[in-house]
Order: sequence, then structure tokens, then C-alpha cells
Amino acid sequence: MQIYNDYKDHADFLTVYVREAHPTDEWQMKSNVKDDVCYAQPKTLGQRVAIAKDFTARYKFPLPFGIDDMGNAAETAYAAWPERLYIIDETGHIVYRGGMGPFHYKPAEVREWLAAKYGRVKREVQTTRAATSAASARTSTTSGATSATTTIPLSAPAESKK
Amino acid sequence: MATAVLICFEGCCSVKRFLQWFAGVLTVILLAAFGVLCYMAGSPKDAYGMVRYALPHMHRGTLQVGSDAPDVRLLALDGTNHFHIRERIGTRPLVLVFGSFT
Repeated sequence: MQIYNDYKDHADFLTVYVREAHPTDEWQMKSNVKDDVCYAQPKTLGQRVAIAKDFTARYKFPLPFGIDDMGNAAETAYAAWPERLYIIDETGHIVYRGGMGPFHYKPAEVREWLAAKYGRVKREVQTTRAATSAASARTSTTSGATSATTTIPLSAPAESKK
Repeated sequence: MATAVLICFEGCCSVKRFLQWFAGVLTVILLAAFGVLCYMAGSPKDAYGMVRYALPHMHRGTLQVGSDAPDVRLLALDGTNHFHIRERIGTRPLVLVFGSFT
């Protein structure tokens, strides 16, 4: 989501919901149980819509959203299961093809592509040190919070993953 | 006659030894592969899940950089309207994020 926030003024984004990767009736992950993300593999499009709505509501997911049909047309066309990233240029050609997730799902590569085209995005972030300083300042001098302008490195660690 | 029987006996022993050796090596390879899968997946149960549910569905696909992006019809989040990926291609690059909740 951070990439979206950083580059939404330069690029369009579209999330495509495909078949569940770890539903309760197939290969369920312990981490999903822990996070209370437990869904059976949808058998109808309505069930897919319901899960997609749960997801967007839970994470207040801001990206435009589309849902694959029960024939898995999008998944098949883009070899997209369980997760994958692509960038399509203005002429309708693929200019970035990410690897198969989860092992080769690398949002940092998308960021790198966007940064190469539009430059690195500078944004205001409150660093831990700044936050600590601010907290300290508030208790001692009642001064306002401190913020720092940082440049997001191309090799930024894992992005927020849905 | 005795010589022929002896050669046959030795041949059988040789084949038997080869089969035993082959079975041993195969077992070691399979155990190693299972171990690697368990390590990658997290546990023997997850290794089974990976083989049973994930690997059959994971494909690299044929799309390459430079390929025409396939057009696909998607359902909007409202559950009623549809749109095509092509409709979202305009004056800016389009980042496609495929995935699911789990």
C-alpha cells in the first residue's frame, strides 16, 4: 500500500482478487489462524465478493479492486496464482513482470521501476528517533512533534502486503 | 553346466546388489527432497499442502516483458458491475496486483 500512496499521482493501480491461496479446506496456514483470516475456498462468485469486501474493510484497502471470475480467467491469463505483480504501460504492453509469489513476489521491484521512471518519492515520515525526541520534548518543554523528511531507499524492506 | 549356473548365480547377485544400491540412493534422494520441502513450507503438513494444493497451480506463464497485456473481464467490488482490465489502461502505467486474502 505504501507504493500506492507514494506513486498514485503517477501510475494507476488495480488489485485483482484471485483464488484463495490458503483456505481452510485446502492448505491452511497457522499464521492465518493466528490472524483470524479463515475462509474456505469460495465456490461461488458471491462468496468471492464477500471475502474481498472483508479484506478491503479490514485493511481499509485503498487500491481499486477487481475480482476474478469463477473460471479464473485473470489468474490463467497472467499466471497470477497465488500472487504476482505486473506493470502495463500506456500502450497496453507489459513492461514489468514479477516472479511467482510468494518467494518471488517483490514489491520493491515495482517501486524500483516506478522510481526509475518518476524519481524517488520524498515524503514526510516520523522516524522512531524523531518520535522519541518529540515525546521527550513534549514532556519536558511541551514543544510540538518533530518530523523528518527522508528519501525512501530503492531497496526498502518488505512492503505492506495484503 | 556347473559353470553356467555359477555365472547365472553371480549375475543375479550383481543385479540384486545394484537394485539394493539403487533403492538406497533413491530413498536418500526422496528423503532429502522431502526435507527441503518441509524446510521451505514450514512443516511436514505444510509440505503436503504445498505438493497437494500449491504446486499444481503455480505456473510461470508465457507472458514476457513486451507482450500484449491480456484483457480480462473482472467483477467490481460492488458485486454487480463488470469492467475490463483494458479499460484501466490509459495515459499512465497500470500496476496490477494479483492476490487473495489468505
